[in-house]
Amino acid sequence: MQTIIENLQKHFQVVSYHQQRENLGFLIASKEVAVGLITHLRDYEGFAHLVLLTAVDWIEDEHFQLTYLLHHPEKKVDLGVRVMISRENPEMYSIHHLWEQARTYQRELREMFGINFPGSPDVDKPFILEGWEEIPPYRRDFDTKEYSEKTYFPRPGRETHDPAEYMKKKLYPNE
Amino acid sequence: MAKLNDILSPFTAWKHVVREPVTIKDPLNREAADRYRGFHKNDISECIGCGTCESICQNAAIDLVPVEGVDTKDGDSGLRPRVDYGRCCWCGLCVDVCTTNSLSLSNEYTWVDEDPDSFRFVPGAENKSWDNREKGYKKPGNGYELYNPKREAMEELEPEKRDQSFIEIVQGYSKEQAEQEADRCVECGICVATCPAHMGIPEYIKAIRNDDLNEGLRVLYDTNPLPEICGRICTHKCETVCSVGHHGDPLSIRWLKRYIADQNPAEEYKKILNTENLQPTGKKVAIIGSGPSGLSAAHYLALMGYQCTIYEKLPAAGGMMRFGIPEYRLPYEQLDKDINYILSLGVEIKYNVTIGKDITLEELHNQYDAVFSGTGLHMGRSTRVPGTDHPKVYQAVDLLRDIVLGKEVPVEENIVVIGGGNVAMDITRSLARLQKQKYGKVGVLATSLESEDIMPADREEVIEAREENAVIDPGWGPVEIETEGDKLKGLHVVKCVSVFDENRRFAPKFDEEQKKFFPADMVVESIGQGMDLSYLPEAFKEQLDMDQRGRILVNDDFQTSAGWLFAGGDIIQGPDVIHGIANGHKAAMGIDKYLSEK
Repeated sequence: MQTIIENLQKHFQVVSYHQQRENLGFLIASKEVAVGLITHLRDYEGFAHLVLLTAVDWIEDEHFQLTYLLHHPEKKVDLGVRVMISRENPEMYSIHHLWEQARTYQRELREMFGINFPGSPDVDKPFILEGWEEIPPYRRDFDTKEYSEKTYFPRPGRETHDPAEYMKKKLYPNE
Repeated sequence: MAKLNDILSPFTAWKHVVREPVTIKDPLNREAADRYRGFHKNDISECIGCGTCESICQNAAIDLVPVEGVDTKDGDSGLRPRVDYGRCCWCGLCVDVCTTNSLSLSNEYTWVDEDPDSFRFVPGAENKSWDNREKGYKKPGNGYELYNPKREAMEELEPEKRDQSFIEIVQGYSKEQAEQEADRCVECGICVATCPAHMGIPEYIKAIRNDDLNEGLRVLYDTNPLPEICGRICTHKCETVCSVGHHGDPLSIRWLKRYIADQNPAEEYKKILNTENLQPTGKKVAIIGSGPSGLSAAHYLALMGYQCTIYEKLPAAGGMMRFGIPEYRLPYEQLDKDINYILSLGVEIKYNVTIGKDITLEELHNQYDAVFSGTGLHMGRSTRVPGTDHPKVYQAVDLLRDIVLGKEVPVEENIVVIGGGNVAMDITRSLARLQKQKYGKVGVLATSLESEDIMPADREEVIEAREENAVIDPGWGPVEIETEGDKLKGLHVVKCVSVFDENRRFAPKFDEEQKKFFPADMVVESIGQGMDLSYLPEAFKEQLDMDQRGRILVNDDFQTSAGWLFAGGDIIQGPDVIHGIANGHKAAMGIDKYLSEK
């Protein structure tokens, strides 16, 4: 793994590298170099398989983190490429030309996080949410509980008690 | 024409009939993976019904409901979570946040039933087949807590720096520390019932998190007009039931209260608390004693527009808070901050006035619409062992009072203190400081009937006393104080094997074989205090409802059978500051009710 990274650093600017396990490491690349770097990994280093593409909403730091997890079938190692993109303008270059299945991941990220991948086939087509118009539900500022309460009505017969209030009623009712 | 093979080939499938199928016949019998998140389990004897599972659930799938056989008591709401599996998404946040680690998920995920209501049940209370299943999802343990189990450390003066002076030991939290500490609170509110004043603890901790300390102060004053004081010396029963304390350090509730009070400047209190214009009722209330109950009653009565006059026997206000608690625990400046604010509401204090001597109770009754008495426990009790009548045997409360009054206090080189409560620690540590000043070294030993594990003093008091080089040797019963003329030689003790009988009644048992002698030039007794009700005229006392032990009986409004006389604080309940505050508050509301109906 270390030689791969050293090779990589000759061609690309790798911001940081973190070896999580013997067969798993993560690096951070800038948005501009990421697609080139991933292409290089696929074509010259043997990371032939895209395991997954996913995102994390770092709302406090005002960016999304994309993670491209790549697998090297011969060496049996995984390498994660992390890319930080601004939350204000969440857009990333598409990689559907490298792996056909990337378009599905990108469609999902478009719908669940609101991250756009211009040029990715069908990226604007509803994925699973069918006509969703509110903020993308995987964003941290989406209020799951509020949505849940608004959408799913409680079954009749449900009741709950606030512990402090209930204890007051039970233990010192006259105060 | 079809080939023969085409006709026969469907039948070749028959050869597989006797083979073991690769698919599973009944998927309902397939066990899930070891850490699969299936139906909940709850150890309801561990669970305290704090409701953090309900609060964190993003699907509102959890209700807290009473469960038969589970009682509501201190530290346990008596409620238990009921899960609605029509809404549960098995995310496991309820398990991750559970303060007692009682809640977990089994790996059982299949269950068929025609009645949708059966998918709503109280795990642990309604028996299920997966209740004893080991596999499933549990809180991952250290490092994965959703709140910090470790308390923000409090800066304290080092023992070497504090043992010669009466400077405050505890330094108080910084803004950053207070916010970190407040962030650990899960807002369950279990503590509220245990606080005698039922303070809005989760609300004021939330105010710290929101950096809205004015709001914090308003929450404090709703139930407690002495926050600087309680923020320092409260017995903090609330912390003993804190849900976070089950698997971590309890919230530092007392220091957080102090932080709010410390950060609000005294000159802005009236504006923040909206007490600049109070509507007078024209009615007057006399209060006997300026301790916590009297001050608390005066505060809430003043807010309701009553003109309050406090009669205080001593030359300064505060009662035991000033004359019993040493300055290193409660600086006078902070005591005065709380008291002066109450005075600023129009409360008057007449100092150096003793009821029954300078003015009679009858006169108060005639001059005022109602009277509140909170005269406290100021008479030291004696062990009455032989030798206690020697002039070198003193009472802790008398010495503590004299230290505050600036009187000359006897300080010998070797002192033995009898007692294991907070007052005993206060006098031990005060005398240690005075010895250090006078002799350059500490020579004080405290001994109590109670063994170390059941000593009534706060743990930190014992630890700090030892840090200051006092010797604490608990578990001994005093037998005799040996004297020789005007000289005192020391205290003879025997081993105390148990203090209480099986009914929790005070009945100490001793092992006479195990003896010890503590040499001393002076002995201080600190085994409790009694009340002095001599200000009540005998004829009046006979009419008043009292119990067999000579204590005044009061109703829920802290009203005595005399109607116009209310009583609270240590003479009724306690002894501690927070009970006094709570009593004073309730008595104020009782007086208002009494005078409104009159």
